[in-house]
Amino acid sequence: MNEVLLSVKDLNVSYKTLHVLFDVSIEIKEGEVVVVVGRNGAGKTTLFRTVAGFLKQTSGAITFKGQDIGNLPAYEVAVRGLKYIQQDKHVFADLSVRENLELGSYATKDYEWDRVLDHFPKLKTLMDRKGGNLSGGERQMLLMAQSLLGQPELVLMDEPTEGLAPHVIDDLKQAFKKISEQSTLVIIEQNLPLTAEVADRVYAMKEGKVVAEITEKKEIQDLAFEKYL
Amino acid sequence: MNQLSRYVRGPLLLIALLVIMRYLFPNKMTFFWEVSTFGIYIIANDILYGYMGMVSFGQPFYLGIGAYAAAIYLAHIGQNIFIAISLAILAGLVTGLILGPAYIRLRGDYYALINAATCAMGLFMVEKVLYPITNGDDGLWYRSSMQPTPFLNLKMPGDVFWFTMIILGLVMIFYTWLDRSTLGAAFRGMKASENKMKFLGYDTFKLRWLGYTMMCVLAALSGSLYAINYGFVNPSITEPARSAEVLVATLLGGPGSVYGPFFGTLAFLGIKDFVSSVMTRWELAVGILTIIVCFYFEGGVWGTIQKIGAKIRARATKAGNAVSAKTAGSSKS
Repeated sequence: MNEVLLSVKDLNVSYKTLHVLFDVSIEIKEGEVVVVVGRNGAGKTTLFRTVAGFLKQTSGAITFKGQDIGNLPAYEVAVRGLKYIQQDKHVFADLSVRENLELGSYATKDYEWDRVLDHFPKLKTLMDRKGGNLSGGERQMLLMAQSLLGQPELVLMDEPTEGLAPHVIDDLKQAFKKISEQSTLVIIEQNLPLTAEVADRVYAMKEGKVVAEITEKKEIQDLAFEKYL
Repeated sequence: MNQLSRYVRGPLLLIALLVIMRYLFPNKMTFFWEVSTFGIYIIANDILYGYMGMVSFGQPFYLGIGAYAAAIYLAHIGQNIFIAISLAILAGLVTGLILGPAYIRLRGDYYALINAATCAMGLFMVEKVLYPITNGDDGLWYRSSMQPTPFLNLKMPGDVFWFTMIILGLVMIFYTWLDRSTLGAAFRGMKASENKMKFLGYDTFKLRWLGYTMMCVLAALSGSLYAINYGFVNPSITEPARSAEVLVATLLGGPGSVYGPFFGTLAFLGIKDFVSSVMTRWELAVGILTIIVCFYFEGGVWGTIQKIGAKIRARATKAGNAVSAKTAGSSKS
């Protein structure tokens, strides 16, 4: 039985007076690939941003590796081994790929780039290119490589395949599989066929609540979660 | 060794350029001295503005901190210029450590304006509140009390020039290291996206504080060099109206680039020197040039030099490739 890595219990989050997450509870176990699905505005990104320490919850508990991280600032959550890759594919445009990776390394004191670049061999050929001159797929690879430095136990990815060409998505799919051998992955994804392929478990969210948890592989492959969206 | 030469080569070349110019134009020695002193001031501003994206309308305050720390020591306490400079650096450090945690919480226009307010308060302090120590508008005069050292007599313009060149060289080596270090990348990363830096595990508050303190120390160092060269300091050094000068010079050189402050200083002071000999309102020429730079030369003087260099290299590579293709073609036939 795998240990629970991340536990979110009865989480409520508000943007000032606007209540956006209502008693959200999820559990992520070591080694899983969990996908969170839901329409725009369902609260998926808010959930990730709160877990990553960027937003403060109004109530509820967030524990990572058994420790309360609910009130930690974002940088400390990252240092503890929980990384968050934002949706905007925002790499540091003025810095080269090498410098982008150096920033990932310096924060975590992990300079073993080979281990990370094995997942994204294309990046090895782009080391001196500015982040701003990369394609969408290359940016996503760089973001993932940057976040994997420091060997995080848990990586939250917010819509990593959004806006990418099908062949790039295929490459990323392979990367997800390889990465999941080392880190636990939680992915927000709108691409349902991809979800069906990579997910061990699926949480469906709607209007700020978790409305379903699908654990059966057969149901996931049959896109049974679609009816909750 | 190679690593060291990466940081030293560029600064040494620029210092050599200033030294050569000083001998080619001996009556312009004061101008080249000012390029080096003002250059340190611009480097200080560029760490915040160019690298971290924090615009300040109160930089003369930080220059004044160093100038007055050195001047008060030389006028009232001692005669050793090295102690005066050390005190100025210490004053900059203490300013950074004390004001930093409060000021760097502010962003954008608030940060710019709180610095403007601080500068105005600084001017009031040295003019009125600290009158018994600063002598108000009359300023502090201490040239005759500055003690020469066995190797250096800073009452002699030639010695001042060489001394400032050494200081500029050291500051530029530090600045080149910063530009190429992960710390420099982290500063630029924060300018691009502070949130992303946090998600990578950086305590951005500490990073900003560090950058702010570096700025304070370098600006104070520059202020102390002004104080030592002129042997006199009055409140005009902290005039808030002069905060535009430092921003314009940074912009002209190319913000956030390693040699930008040097070329920005050269351009700004060069125009000031040349145009002021023709017309009194030299600021008009600087203003027009700044507008042109803003619209057409985003990277400033250094950015434009880099672009031209890249174009020349690309053309040379293209020509080289064409020649090798031709040679390969003729050897086949």
